Amino acid sequence: MNHSELLTQLSEQYVSTNQWCALWPEIALALLAVLVLLIDLFAGRLRARAVPFAAIAGQVVIFAVLLGKLGTCDPADSGLLFSGMILPTTLSEVMRLFFLLASILVCWLGMLYLRKQDLPRMEFYCLTLIVTAALMLLGQSSNFVMLFVALETVTIGFYILVSYGRNSIFSLEGGLKYLVLGGTSTAILLFGIVLLYGAAGDPSLPVHSGDSLNFLALEQFLAANPNNVLAKVGMVLVLCGVCFKIGAVPFQIWIPDVYQGAPTPVTAFLAVSSKAAGFIVLINLVTGPFGPMASLTVPLLSAITVVTILFGNLTALGQRNVKRVMGLSGIAHAGYLLLGIVALIQGVELAAWAVIFYLFTYLFGSFTVFGVMSHLAGPDDENQEVDHYVNLARRQPFLAGVLAIGLGSLAGIPPLAGFIGKVFLFVVAFQANLYLLLGVAILGVVISIYYYFGWMREAFFQEQTWPEGKEEQLAPIKVCLPHKVAMAALAIITVLLGIYQGGFGGGF
Amino acid sequence: MHDFFFYLFSALTVLTALLVVLCPNAVNSAVFMIVSFVGTAALFLLLDAFFLAILQVLVYAGAVMVLFLFIIMLLDVERSSRVRPDVVTVVAASVAVLLLAFGMGYLFLTGHDATAATMAAVPQVPGGANPMEYATASRAFGYGLFTKYMLPFQVAGFLLLVAMVGVIVLSKRLTGSNEAGKPSAQEIRESEVSQS
Repeated sequence: MNHSELLTQLSEQYVSTNQWCALWPEIALALLAVLVLLIDLFAGRLRARAVPFAAIAGQVVIFAVLLGKLGTCDPADSGLLFSGMILPTTLSEVMRLFFLLASILVCWLGMLYLRKQDLPRMEFYCLTLIVTAALMLLGQSSNFVMLFVALETVTIGFYILVSYGRNSIFSLEGGLKYLVLGGTSTAILLFGIVLLYGAAGDPSLPVHSGDSLNFLALEQFLAANPNNVLAKVGMVLVLCGVCFKIGAVPFQIWIPDVYQGAPTPVTAFLAVSSKAAGFIVLINLVTGPFGPMASLTVPLLSAITVVTILFGNLTALGQRNVKRVMGLSGIAHAGYLLLGIVALIQGVELAAWAVIFYLFTYLFGSFTVFGVMSHLAGPDDENQEVDHYVNLARRQPFLAGVLAIGLGSLAGIPPLAGFIGKVFLFVVAFQANLYLLLGVAILGVVISIYYYFGWMREAFFQEQTWPEGKEEQLAPIKVCLPHKVAMAALAIITVLLGIYQGGFGGGF
Repeated sequence: MHDFFFYLFSALTVLTALLVVLCPNAVNSAVFMIVSFVGTAALFLLLDAFFLAILQVLVYAGAVMVLFLFIIMLLDVERSSRVRPDVVTVVAASVAVLLLAFGMGYLFLTGHDATAATMAAVPQVPGGANPMEYATASRAFGYGLFTKYMLPFQVAGFLLLVAMVGVIVLSKRLTGSNEAGKPSAQEIRESEVSQS
């Protein structure tokens, strides 16, 4: 009877908001992933070249079109999308570009890595593409169901990518650790979401909602019930789940082993894209649903920031394995970024852009370094010590120069992009009166210079300490022209962003 | 009566879930997990969510657990030796538990009591349909899945694709691997064996 009529009526209302065109980049990426699988199946002899080419060229095309469309239309105009599952903002549009760029670079590093390995070659690109599409969705999701599904697609993709180098025990160990700890963090996140759902759906409370997983409804509920215990516990658990993704301190335990064991391109993917995804979700959460709970989130995240910066920098000091150095210093970078998040909660609107800008500088700096690492790595990928970089300046001056720019940017040396990124973050922290956090962050930057420069010193100034004849055993490092161009481009962008920030600089 | 059953099945679910973690024998753990799932299904029944209860039994207690048992049998896991936690772990765990208990206690004592308010009536569905009947009909799930939750549903499809590709990548036997300087298939298998 009216039972089914009612359902039809309700569903029509929902279906009209399913505007698939708004998600064309994600859909195109997913189709590209399927296409890659099909090429692998049918292309025969050509596939070794066709698959990486299709993956990278396809992404470059999507990137170019997306870049061209950026700023032409206001994302807020599009109205309700997917019954409120998706809420594009200017921020998430920029992050889409970020994830695509990172994915293109990961595919490029993947080509370098897979050349040296005896592994299945083609599936790497398929997984990278799907994970990237899910990351792009994650940045725009404004409903916990959407957020969770996108996050799980990303996480499961990463479980596989981390253990991709299955010839190596380290890679399998990393994959297993990431699986167990990632599963635990997912459980914590899900428990938090469920508590929020239950609290905000309670009909006895004011402003309860039938759609209480929606960010907007949740924000209104939390504003009306700031003291609800269940909602508070739920919020803290959700923040814990997100902190696992960005590697903030009580949840950083997986980072060194997973970063070391994972194939180098996957380490880069984890360091840049996965962390950036955590931060865009965090920005969406603290400016959206958790906005009314600032009195709880500020002390919580401030404490996490202090411990994260100190832990990351101090533990990176003693490391000799460069992948562990990148992982542990990545924890410190997450700490600096959290500084921006705390400033954002305190009401400094520019802080979100400072975080995004820092993520971009981190992307260029990291991929520059990871590009060099991919060239220097031998067949056993997890074994990359600082000692392997001895005398790099004599053996391969180009790589040494690129490495210096990348590391300098990560350390925050003045003319480079990383310096400006840190300045922006510190300015917003200053505007938010976070003097203690600012002091800790500056201390952290000073410590970080020690280990970044120790690495650089090996490459440039270390005299030969090996017995005679050892140097001849080192295989000469060849860099092909396309890879040279790519790394030079990354290094040049790193320098240019330090000098000219375009529209970014105007706000400060 | 309703309350009694709720507490009964809740206790059953929590206790068996605890036993899943504490049992040294993997098969016992798996069987306790089935009981835990059945307890959850009973809780769904008490909420009049018959469809979910049946799904819980069919999918989790049925299919997923059979798969679990298969894997345990195939891997031939022997009784794992009892691992004695070291002092640091015990101290850290106790501190964590105390902190957690303190935090929860503090929150529940200072936060205002949400449970004191009486439950409001179930909201009326427009059109005069019986709300519970409307909410728990399997057709309602279908409509929701293909209208409001269409996008997450499609993304979940890709999630499964990722998982499938992953299984193939991680378990496919490699061919043509005897080039110089690269590990042979034999070495790979050995490293896999030593890992497991």
